[in-house]
Amino acid sequence: MVLTDLHKGETAVVVRLAVEHEALKQRLLHLGVKEGKMVRVKAAMPFGGPVMVEVDGQAIGLRRKEASSIEVK
Amino acid sequence: MSYVALFGNPNTGKTSLFNCLTGSYEYVGNWSGVTVEKKVGVLRQHGVPVVDLPGIYSLQPLSRDEGVATDFLLTEPCSAIVNIVDASQLQRNLHLTVQLLEFGRPLIIALNMVDVAEKRGIKIDAVKLSRHLGVPVVPVIARTGKGAKELERAILSAKDGHHSRMFIDYGVEVERAIRRIAEQLPDDVPGDKRWMALQFLEGNERLAAYLRDHFDLSPLLAIRKETEQALGCQAAKHIYETRDRWISETIAAAAIEFKPKPLTLTEKVDAVVTNRYVGLPIFLALMYIVFMLTFNWLGTPLADQLDTFFSGPLTDWLSRLLDWAGASPFIEALVLDGIVAGVGGVLVFVPQIFILFFFISLLEDSGYMARVAMVMDRLMEAIGLNGKAFIPMIIGFGCNVPGVMAARTIEQPKERLLTMLLLPFMSCSARLPVYALFAGTFFIHEQALVVFSLYVLGIVVALGLAKLFSSTVFKNESSLFVIELPPYRVPQALTLWRSTWEKGKGFVRKAGTFIFGGSVAIWLLTYVGPHGVGVPMDDSLLAAIGGLIAPLLAPLGFGAWQAGAALITGFLAKEVVVSTMNIIYHVREANGLEQMIAAHFTPLSALSFMVFVLLYTPCLATVATIRKETGSWKWTLLSIGIALTVAYMISFLVYQVGMMFHFQ
Repeated sequence: MVLTDLHKGETAVVVRLAVEHEALKQRLLHLGVKEGKMVRVKAAMPFGGPVMVEVDGQAIGLRRKEASSIEVK
Repeated sequence: MSYVALFGNPNTGKTSLFNCLTGSYEYVGNWSGVTVEKKVGVLRQHGVPVVDLPGIYSLQPLSRDEGVATDFLLTEPCSAIVNIVDASQLQRNLHLTVQLLEFGRPLIIALNMVDVAEKRGIKIDAVKLSRHLGVPVVPVIARTGKGAKELERAILSAKDGHHSRMFIDYGVEVERAIRRIAEQLPDDVPGDKRWMALQFLEGNERLAAYLRDHFDLSPLLAIRKETEQALGCQAAKHIYETRDRWISETIAAAAIEFKPKPLTLTEKVDAVVTNRYVGLPIFLALMYIVFMLTFNWLGTPLADQLDTFFSGPLTDWLSRLLDWAGASPFIEALVLDGIVAGVGGVLVFVPQIFILFFFISLLEDSGYMARVAMVMDRLMEAIGLNGKAFIPMIIGFGCNVPGVMAARTIEQPKERLLTMLLLPFMSCSARLPVYALFAGTFFIHEQALVVFSLYVLGIVVALGLAKLFSSTVFKNESSLFVIELPPYRVPQALTLWRSTWEKGKGFVRKAGTFIFGGSVAIWLLTYVGPHGVGVPMDDSLLAAIGGLIAPLLAPLGFGAWQAGAALITGFLAKEVVVSTMNIIYHVREANGLEQMIAAHFTPLSALSFMVFVLLYTPCLATVATIRKETGSWKWTLLSIGIALTVAYMISFLVYQVGMMFHFQ
């Protein structure tokens, strides 16, 4: 399952960060999105826009494409 | 000169703390990337220089502003580092702390936002944390200045002293690599050799570029490669994970309470403003309310009163004063028709500009700014930019110069360049006097709507061109977007006022310097003609200059020399367009200018003129900033060229289509 499969308000654990873009992956790591972390989907923008997730009480906005390369369970 | 440097994650309150420590009023806000360059101040009463740096998550920069912080460590001496740590986000904040500790300079931790952390169910024992990290930890609340005195004492006693003996064991392979790299490094490198070796292993590009200038990197690259083979993964990943474990242990040892719970206010507000369906409409509605307040409900009545005062009592009073002092007619004309008309004509718009700045400050300070970037990202993605580019654009509504600077936070070079080139289409506050004058004359009842449409036109043109460029010149360049959404906070009255005043001050100051000087020069140009002095206006030098481009402007509906002259002088600063018109149509009674303008323009040509002023060229200060930030005259000239062409085309369309349908 990937992050974008979650519905609004659902929580899951990050299994793998399969983000291709190296800089983006670094940024996500530094924001606390990493393996073993609980993430919660807070909102999704319409027309395939970004999703808003929460990790450690920190809200982050990222694009659907990148969110879909974050594997969760 | 050796600095005390302020380091920390983005949006942890570095600049607030800097302002407390140095008594400065640098620009603060509640989103990541407010500070994009280093700012220097002096520690009050002690004469110690302090430098504020852009926020970073780690010493490996991903964007231009982050590079500023890493470059500082590599090239400038520092006597101590103050690391501002957000107590509510300890885990990720301490990643930077560890890297700074490894750098090996005296370090003091300012533990900020302890109040926010407590609301989130996190309570940290500063003494235990201090013992674990081996450095002083001072709890502060940077927004209110609480703890600043204690921090100052800690800085003074730690400065130039010992550094922490904190040591993380990265495992056999990495430790061996560190030793081998350290052996190769020359003795005069900045920072600890262990630090440098670790940063190199992590793949710090800035550092690699710095080392490359001094010697051949291939042996070091070979060591990194060997280490990565032995580890079976990237060295950066291994180092990150080792640090992460160490940090978790540190927090477990130093936390008194750790039962994170959500911030309810933020949750509630976000449920509405980032809602799938109403998020974007809410943003647009808020913007519209801001415009109504600025132009219809509040700003215009105030500006009218100021105008009545300037053209009535103030002019009379000055005129009597000049008579009493026995001033020559020349001086009297210069003061009343030049300076009062030129400078006063711009100053009357101070109420509108301050109201607009107040709302921009409110947007910046509340935490809503980052949400706007996210709400707008889908649209921005479609035109080849990202949501973050919307933040410089909003700032550009105040003034284009800080807007161009704010583009530094955009990670992708192409997106940053595009944002900078198109930023001048954002209608800055200097263009506002022009709209207020023309829309106030010709569109009295629809003023807010007309002005709102101009702002929207600026955005539409910028976005349209972005689409054009990203699907031609910048094809195949990837775009990315990730943004931190800070907790909301209720803005403090004092911060809001300061932030509004700091922005507005520039406008008032410009009126006293640039526009004052410009007004004198323009008046002189109207006074002197090719065939003598004191000539009728139509035979003046200004008329000759304006007349040069007037024929070109005729198809746009404003082919008189007066419009041409106002536009040329408007390159200095766009307010000067209004100053020039005030001087040209020199009228000393209230509302006189509006009558004169009504005689020279029609509603249609006024609309065309406003569109042209909106788009035609970035002002001198913006051009200089674009040149500095892009480092290229080619892009700068292109930005001017695009603006002139687009302005001409759209004004032409507005006027000619309007004529076709017999709008006058």
